[in-house]
Parts: sequence; structure tokens; C-alpha cells
Amino acid sequence: MSLPPGTLFLLAAALLFAIGAHGLVTCRHLLRKVLALNVATTGVFLLLVTLGRSGTAVDPVPHAMVLTGIVVALSTTAVALGLIVRLQRQRP
Amino acid sequence: MGLPSTATLVVILVTLPLATATVLFASGRQPRTLILAAALLLACAALALGVNVQLEGISVHPIGGWTAPLGIHWQVTPSGTVMLVVTALVGLAGAVYGTGYFLHRAGPEGRMARVFMPLWLFAWGGLNALFVAADLFNLYVALEVMTLASVALVALSARRLALQAAMRYLLAGLFGSMIYLLGVALLYGQYGVLDLDALAAVMDPQDPGSRAGAVALTVGLLAKAAIFPLHFWLPGAHGRAEPPVSAMLSGLVVAAAFYLLLRLWFGPLAGLLNFGVGAMLGTLGAGALLWGGVLALLQRRLKMMVAYSTVSQFGFAMLVFPLATAANRDAVVAGGTLLLANHALAKAALFLAAGTLVRASASDRIGNLVGFSGRARWAWLAVILASAALIGVPPTLGFSAKWLLLQAAIAEGAWVWLGVMLGGTLLTFAYLGRLLERALLDPAPEPTRPPLLTLALLLPALLLALLACVLGLWALDDDMPTQWIPGS
Amino acid sequence: MHPVEMLFDALLLLSMVVLAWQGVHARNLFRAVVSFMMFGLLTAVAWVRLEAPDIALAEAALGAGLTGALLLATLGRLDQGGRATRLRTTFMRFSLPWMALGLAGTTLLLAVTLALPAPGLDEAVLRAMPAAGVDSPVTAVLLNFRAWDTLLEIAVMLLAVVALWSLGQDVLASTPRLPAPALPALVRLLFPLFLLSTFYLLWRGGHGPGGAFPAGALLAAGLVLALLAGARVPERMTGAPLRCALAAGLLAFLMVAVGVMADRGVFFAYPPQHAPILIAMVEIAAGLSIGVMLTALFLGGEPTDVEGGPS
Repeated sequence: MSLPPGTLFLLAAALLFAIGAHGLVTCRHLLRKVLALNVATTGVFLLLVTLGRSGTAVDPVPHAMVLTGIVVALSTTAVALGLIVRLQRQRP
Repeated sequence: MGLPSTATLVVILVTLPLATATVLFASGRQPRTLILAAALLLACAALALGVNVQLEGISVHPIGGWTAPLGIHWQVTPSGTVMLVVTALVGLAGAVYGTGYFLHRAGPEGRMARVFMPLWLFAWGGLNALFVAADLFNLYVALEVMTLASVALVALSARRLALQAAMRYLLAGLFGSMIYLLGVALLYGQYGVLDLDALAAVMDPQDPGSRAGAVALTVGLLAKAAIFPLHFWLPGAHGRAEPPVSAMLSGLVVAAAFYLLLRLWFGPLAGLLNFGVGAMLGTLGAGALLWGGVLALLQRRLKMMVAYSTVSQFGFAMLVFPLATAANRDAVVAGGTLLLANHALAKAALFLAAGTLVRASASDRIGNLVGFSGRARWAWLAVILASAALIGVPPTLGFSAKWLLLQAAIAEGAWVWLGVMLGGTLLTFAYLGRLLERALLDPAPEPTRPPLLTLALLLPALLLALLACVLGLWALDDDMPTQWIPGS
Repeated sequence: MHPVEMLFDALLLLSMVVLAWQGVHARNLFRAVVSFMMFGLLTAVAWVRLEAPDIALAEAALGAGLTGALLLATLGRLDQGGRATRLRTTFMRFSLPWMALGLAGTTLLLAVTLALPAPGLDEAVLRAMPAAGVDSPVTAVLLNFRAWDTLLEIAVMLLAVVALWSLGQDVLASTPRLPAPALPALVRLLFPLFLLSTFYLLWRGGHGPGGAFPAGALLAAGLVLALLAGARVPERMTGAPLRCALAAGLLAFLMVAVGVMADRGVFFAYPPQHAPILIAMVEIAAGLSIGVMLTALFLGGEPTDVEGGPS
């Protein structure tokens, strides 16, 4: 059995992206939407890094991009969670 | 004495806002002189850059001394510079307006005053970084700075509806970034470059990665630019935010995402822009124009009406895509850029003036607005001028922009798009006319103790609206378009 | 590829997908969050499998650890079943069409990604490495070739702190306290270790996997653990000292970026002979600042009002 290298990872990346995008659209609870967004973003990161190693050597540029992306995702998630809490505590 | 070099100006434009914001945050104080000095310096730098670009044309500035595929570089393009100048004008106007709007409040409202300026400067820095960026991933990070600052600015207005709108905006914005990043990943997987020029050199429309990547980048940016049907987050976020915030968001942040669409589709993705793609993007635009226009007509609240008008106006800008051909590309892109500039100035003026009028009337219902009297007269004057620019009455900037697009449509015999444009202009005329008629001919009685309208609340809007009108004279010059080629 | 490796990968990725689905759709929110945290841990393993140790370190500390702590803390503060946390959704009523669309999208995405040649920039990086001033390619990309990205990213983080503080709420960590009696003692024991490993990673970043991001993440993990064990932000540290610590990373970055212009007049162009020391400086400032900023993100609010909050 010979699959092209990275096939499994690419499949997982595509599935994670789809699960996240689907969840973002269909879920009603805000926390779930944030989780879904994070799942989809992980899918994109996986895609970036898997594509980065299909060549002969490991390509460090996608690694750097994903490191940056993880920190950005965490920052935005923190703000989103803060907003959710704030929203619930707000009395109209 | 000559002007500073373009490279120096770019460094000032991208670092000064971030540095000032950081210092303001660290010190915990809001010294008005420092804020205004920084804003003024930024405006001067942007204007000087504008002069430099007129003399030198497109210039490239490697960062860290590394060349293209490996390193990142800044690219100063004429259309990017137009956006930088407009950003500086609106940024300065908003900073002045903000000192008059927020600093008089104490208590819980003092929170707004404390964080408004740092957030404003972060957004400004993100915008500037975006307009000089020439690298797909760098653009992603700049977009994130801009989006996060914008969301926080919307959330400043602590009312429930504003917080909800901020949440919706954050989710839509993050969704857009995520899809955009997917596009970056696909293009990187296909070509192994992130630099826009390097990408343009190797781009082949036949490759699977190029098409999928282009779709992802476009969908992501359409969400960020609130193009119909992904506009659902915009009216709430812009209508419920504090007035100077709405001015920046409507005038600049949405425009930045749209500018990026222009930059990509007339840069690296140009080979993919065929009749079908153009027609599809144009149809979305027509939908936005109609939907936004009709809903603006139905609004009873002033700021919500202005917000729906933004949806409609960006629909107009989308018509750039179906109208572009190889021959008229420069003129059409110039028209699109001018449209963005006109919209930024006029819409910011409209939102700032709306904020002043709402404060003077103690109500944001169009039926309850004070009439053309007292100091509110100056705010109304700004509204009238800005409306003229948005409708496109000659000789405003809006007229020059629409004229360029109109000429392209006539030359190609694109009667459908011509009809859409005229219909859109009529709708704009209708909803703005309704505002002016309702408020000027049938105004509400003056409140017994009208709040003091300081110069800071009146002048910025008036000057921005005036600029939108006067710059049209300068842009009427016939060889303007040829100078405004994006990319290289 | 060895069949055993393949089997391992298949199982790993399958569990990731299942956990991701549960993380979004599990009926109970708490279960969803816990599934998501496990998903994060498995993602870290996946990064190891993809030969990306730097990302694995950052993911384990951030993606699984800190995000998880943040999510649990948020969950603790949300009143379950509150309607405020739901958005009115107008056109997303039916899950099935979206599911079909998702499957179609997945297939399409997979088909496209499988066809990509993935040329990459590894050769360009290799060629430039001798002049980079560090030995680790990832650090070279982050702090030299694409340092401007990293600067903006630090700005995003600081901006997130400003944004959270602007929401004007009390501090998150004051609510959840772990009910483990041995924890405080353990944390007191572990905390120096966390500090030590932070500096080890910072130092190591020049040569191998490590550097500012994992180091900052580890520092934050230690600080957050201390907070969870009942530690409080000391009062004399709140206010100006804390704000300066938060701002320090971005300011240092900006100063270096503009300061090196004295040499060749090019933004962020380190003078070759000083590149290693300058990069090390930026790395330490960024690492420490990232640690403090991440902790602030976990706290969720400006800790000046800490004495007023319930504990």
C-alpha cells in the first residue's frame, strides 16, 4: 500500500477545517462557535505544515507562520471569551 | 530642505502608531498634546509620502535587507498611498473628535476615554501596515491587528446591542481571517512563495492551487469587507458603535479589506479575472447595492441608516470587477481607489456629524433630530456636503470616481452594469434626501438645554466633507488615472 | 513509510477528528471543552509526527494548556443555559445541507491539496542561514527573515490585553480554584523549575527547537498554574509595573527594529557582527513579555480590582 506522503494529514486537515466551518455556522452557543473556529484554524495550520514537508527537507517558513498563527489564535480566543462573559453579565 | 526619504516615511507610518499606543497604555495616561502631536506627525508623513510617490512612482523597501521570496518587503503603490493619506486624514479627524467626545466624561464612562486612543492607534497602525504590505502572510497579521482593534472599539460602547454586534463582528472577522489563511496555505503549497510580486510572476490560472487559493482569499476578504451576502455583521457593529469608531470602521477598516481585494485581483490574481468571475463579483455588488440601499431607506435611526449606506456603497465598488478589461484596467482601478477614498472621507464625515447631531438632539431617531439652527448648523452643513460626495454630484471626488467607472461601462457597452450604477445612485439620493428633507423641513423642537457643541465636535466632520468635495477638482484632471496603477 | 508508523498516524488523526467533533458538538459544554483540550494535546503529538518540535511545544502549552484553562475559567463564569450566550441565527437552522456542503468541501479541499507540488522556501532559508545570526532555521525566520510579522504578532497580543482590559471586568482567575490541597505546595516546588526551563528554552532557541514562543508559553503556564493554586498578583506589581512589563516586549522589538537603522538605514537589518546578540536580546524581551501577556490574557481583566473580587 503506498499513499503519497502526508495524505493522512491532509485528509485530517480537510476534515478538521470542515468540522470547524460547519460548527461555526450551525452552532448557536457562542462558546461552541469559538471552539469550532479554533478547530478549523488548527486544520489550516495542519495543512500549512504538511505542505511544508512534502519536499526534500523540512521547510521552516510554515513552522514560523504556524507559531505566529497559534499565538494570534490564542489572543483572539481570549478576547472572544472575554466578550462572551461580558455579554452575559450585561443587564440590558 | 527636501522631504524625508520614502523609506523613512514608511517606517514612521507603521511604527509610530504602535509605539504611541504602547506608550499610552504603559503610562496609563492620555496626554492630549502627545496624542495630537503623534496624529499630526502621522498625517504629515502620509502627505509627504503622497508627494514622494508622485515624483518617484512605485518603490520597494526590503525589511531586514532580505530580498523577496525569503524576506518581506514593503511596497509603496500609488493606490496604497491614496489609502494611507485618507487614513491619516480620517485618523487625525477622529483623534480630534475623540478628544472632544470622550474626555469630558467621568466615572464609568471614563473607561472609554482611557482606552479609545490606544485602540484607535493600534487600528491606525494595522491599517498603515496593511497598505504598504506586499506579502500574503504579513497581510494576514496586519488584518488581525486591524480586526481586533476594531472589535474592541465597537465594544467600547458598553450597551448590550453594541456588545452583541462586537461579538458578531469578531466571529465574522475571525471567520474571514481563517478562510484567508486557508487561501495563503493553498497558494504557498502550490508555489512556495508569499510575496505578491513573486506570486504574480509564477501564477498560472490552470493550476488547481491557484484557483482554490483565489477563492479562499476572496471569500475571506468578502467577509471582512462586508460584501453582500456576508454583510450581516456590519450594520449592527457600525450603527451601534460610538461615532468616531463608526467613522473609522466604515470609512477605513472595511475599505482596507476591499483595497486588498483590488490589490490581489489586479495584482497576482489578475490572470484569473475572467468574464465569469467578474460577473459573479459584480452580481454580489449589485445585490449589496440594492439590499443596502433599500434597507437604508427603511431605517428610522440615523446611524443605522448611515451604516446600511456603507453596505450599499461597497456594492457599488464591487462593480469594478466586471468592468475591468485589459485595456481600461488602470482607469477602472483608479476609479475604484477614488471611490474608496471618497467613501472614506464622506462616510467618516457623515458618522462624525451624525454623532454630533445625535448628541445635540438627545435622540438618534431621524424624526427627532434638531433642525438647521444654532451650532448644529455646521454639523448639518457637513452632512449636506458629505451626501453630495456620496451621491456623486459634480465636482466632488465621488463624481470623478463614478465618472471613470461610467465611462468604462459605456465604452464596453455594459448596459446592465450601467443600469445598476444609475439605480444605486438613485437609491443613495433617495435615502440621503429623505434624511435631509425630514430633518431640515420638519425638524424636532430644540431641546430645552442643548448640550454644548465644541469645535472638536464640529470641525473634523466639516473639514473631511469639504475635502471629499474639493479633491474632486484635483482628480478631474485627465491623466490622473494613468498615474494610479497598482502593483507593478 | 513503515506500516506501524502509518497505523499510529491513522489512529492519532482519527482520534483528533473525533475529539474535534465532540469539542464542537458534545451535548454538555463541559465535555466539549474537555474534548477540545484533549484535541489540543493530540495536535501537539501530530506536530511531533510532522517534525515540528517548536510548534509541538507551543501547542502543548498554549493550544492545550492555556486555552484549556481559559475555556474552563470562562465556563465557570458563565451561567449555564443563559440565553445571552446564544446568537440569533437566521439561516442556519438546518444542519443537514451544511453537512453535505461540508463533506463536498472536504473532498474538494483534499483533492486540491493532494495535487499541490509544495516547492517551499527551504532552500532559500538554507542559503541565507550563514548570515542569519542564529543556528535554528525557525528562529531565523521568526526573528530575522520575517521579524516584521513577529513584531506585528506581539502587537496583536498586547492589543488583545488592551481589548480585554477595555471590557472592564473583574479578574478571571479569582473564580476557579482547584480543590486539590496538595497543589499549592507542589506549585511552589515546581515554579522555579518552570522559570528554569523558560530560560533554558530561551537560550536553546538559538541552536535548536525552543526560542521565544515556547519559552513564553512555558513561563505563562507556570504563572497560570501558580494562580490556579491560589497565588495572587502582588499588589505592588499591579498598575504601572504590570503595564510596563506587558508593553516591554513590543517596545523592545520596536526599538531594535528602528535602532538598527543607524547601521545601514534599513528597517530591521541587524548589523551582521551584532546580529546574534541583538536577536538574543529581542528573543529574551519577547519571551518574557509573551509570558506576562499570556498570563494577563488568562486573568482576563485589569488586576487592580483584584481585592474587590470574590476569591
